Amino acid sequence: MMELLPQALTDGILLGGIYITIAIAFSLTYGVMHVIDFAVGEWIMFGAFTGYYLNKWTGLDPFIFLPVIFVIYFGVGYLVQPVIHRVLSGTKGNPFLMGLVFTFGLAIMFRGLALTAFGFYSNSIPSAFSEGSFNLESIGLTVTIPTVRLMGLAYAVAITLILHYLLKKTNFGLGVRALAQHKDAAGLMGVNAKRTGSYVYGIYVGISAMTGVLLGCILSIGAQMGNEYTIFAFFVVVLAGMGYLAGVPWAALLLGLVQSIFMIYFNPSHTLLAVFVILYIILLISPRGLFGKGV
Amino acid sequence: MKFGFVRVLLLIAALFVAIPVHAEQRNFYKIGVITELSGDLVTGGNITKRGYDLWAQEVNAKGGIEVQGKKYQVKLVYADAQSNPAAGAAAAERLITQEKVDFILGPYSSGVTLAVAPVVDKYKVPMITGSAESPLIWKNKFKYTFGTIPPINFTGATSIKTLTELKPAPKTIAIIGSNDAFSKATAEAYKTAAEKAKLKIVKFSIVPSGQDMTPLLSAVRSMKPDVIAFGGHDEEHVKFVKALKQIGYTPKALLMHCGITDKAFTDAVGKDGEQIFGTTCWTGTAKTKSKVLWPTASAYAAASQKAFKNPGDYTQGGCSAAGIAFQTALQKIGAKPGMDEAMRAKLVQALEQIDVQTFYGRVKFATSGEFYHANVGLDPLTIQIQKGQIKTVGPKASVEAAAQYPMKEWKSR
Repeated sequence: MMELLPQALTDGILLGGIYITIAIAFSLTYGVMHVIDFAVGEWIMFGAFTGYYLNKWTGLDPFIFLPVIFVIYFGVGYLVQPVIHRVLSGTKGNPFLMGLVFTFGLAIMFRGLALTAFGFYSNSIPSAFSEGSFNLESIGLTVTIPTVRLMGLAYAVAITLILHYLLKKTNFGLGVRALAQHKDAAGLMGVNAKRTGSYVYGIYVGISAMTGVLLGCILSIGAQMGNEYTIFAFFVVVLAGMGYLAGVPWAALLLGLVQSIFMIYFNPSHTLLAVFVILYIILLISPRGLFGKGV
Repeated sequence: MKFGFVRVLLLIAALFVAIPVHAEQRNFYKIGVITELSGDLVTGGNITKRGYDLWAQEVNAKGGIEVQGKKYQVKLVYADAQSNPAAGAAAAERLITQEKVDFILGPYSSGVTLAVAPVVDKYKVPMITGSAESPLIWKNKFKYTFGTIPPINFTGATSIKTLTELKPAPKTIAIIGSNDAFSKATAEAYKTAAEKAKLKIVKFSIVPSGQDMTPLLSAVRSMKPDVIAFGGHDEEHVKFVKALKQIGYTPKALLMHCGITDKAFTDAVGKDGEQIFGTTCWTGTAKTKSKVLWPTASAYAAASQKAFKNPGDYTQGGCSAAGIAFQTALQKIGAKPGMDEAMRAKLVQALEQIDVQTFYGRVKFATSGEFYHANVGLDPLTIQIQKGQIKTVGPKASVEAAAQYPMKEWKSR
């Protein structure tokens, strides 16, 4: 069974790559806006369907039009954010809970809309990258790396690096970090909370939509797919430490590796149980996530 | 606090005012339908809906169900089980106590059916599910629950037998099932049949529903089984095929169950669906003859194509056949709409006695044993997707085309 270990680790890392793409922008939006967006899975689903139809109409490979999807959904996010901002900045009741309820409602509404618009069948987005795989037998390892999943990992790394650059090396990033730390103080320093929030939410929705296209190439798409990904996004972000962006890739990789190793070496039906037990243990030891740096 | 309480009371009162209250004088059958119109199993739920709808449309187009010289139209009242057994049970309770339905057309999934069956027994309202296939339903011997699709342990064995008759005969098999009532039962049915056929089972795993199974399939690949058999639902079928292709492993035969007979599966996976085997008990090309509604399987497929731009699969067909079973039993006992408890009990007796040829094949419910109230009138079929078409490849008496075996490598398609 030990000869399976390299493959188990590879599968885990590739799975982790998928989880990074699902969770990283979700973590960003929580860090800045302090809203847990329960509609994250639905943004992923809308992106997936947009990719599916664009592929059908143009016949082009979905990886080519990822930037187009980003631009479209950045616009959508930019327009939706003021509504969420209004809910969150209310003075009555508990704005945080109102935000949760609002995004939860959005998710249900989006799912219903998608069922009506796209129908109930599952689908798949064809890509030239879905065809091949790399075999490492030539270097003595029985490991297969599917090209499309490798592309997914490359995309995850690219998104992480771009976000890192944006947050650490640009003035916009400085504003975002200031906003994440203290909204009022950032305002006094000249950071426009409303506009920055809109940009951040736009970036988050754009990235989530692109992730949807990727998932459509690797797995399958359907109007109900969002729910599953919302749970994983939430899970990774809690494990990483709420709002701690740098923890997301590690939490995602840990989740992927646990799942992969458990599926191969233990009883696969207990995979999710194992994942949750590990989460609980980590949170018991370090309540603010893997690195103790969550909000 | 006090004001809040008053507001709640006012809201409730407004709701009551909004509900139209009138004693119903019915000259039509009011039929409750509980199925999964949202949630994870929404695809299957909507396929059952199409089956029930098509039956109702056809009956009403012919003027209704003729009972003692008078025709009564049918009206379907839907309740969403939300792919959740508890929601399904609550929906059944509402349909029976508030909507006062005459009888019920049942859920898509076995899990929801198992939750609804005790409710219909409690209120003594007959139900036929046109879809659920877990043997557990029939082993529980619910008096008021019937089903038009045979249980998976009855149908699954046929496919394993067909595979063992291929040349050169496969020797090893890996069996994987998703963790829900139906899919688990499918995997277990394949396991029992494989053990009986002396196929060596190299892996048997049940995985949580909706999971990415790639790591597990990587482990399966290292065991190089001749056959991989999978029990799951529609979305999982698509994921399964894609994962196998991504890890580059082509077994000699890939066997799945429900869902692959629907056009949507071949649409989703394209040429990768080619040569996949499946288990079913009906296809649009089956050689059935009937005097009730559609005369043949192909006439049904054509009607479905016209209504839904889809020829329909065995689940949809099973649901339309459930309607025909009720229709036949109602006519047999002369039951008019608005049945009381005694009449509903008579309806159950009539259902136990019917033996009717439909476009779907023979419908005859078992009245004892492990298949109690399941349809045992059908012959299970093994099918294979060939050039995008569903072809029956076993058992020998029903063969439409020779089985293609072993499967073409993914990369050479």
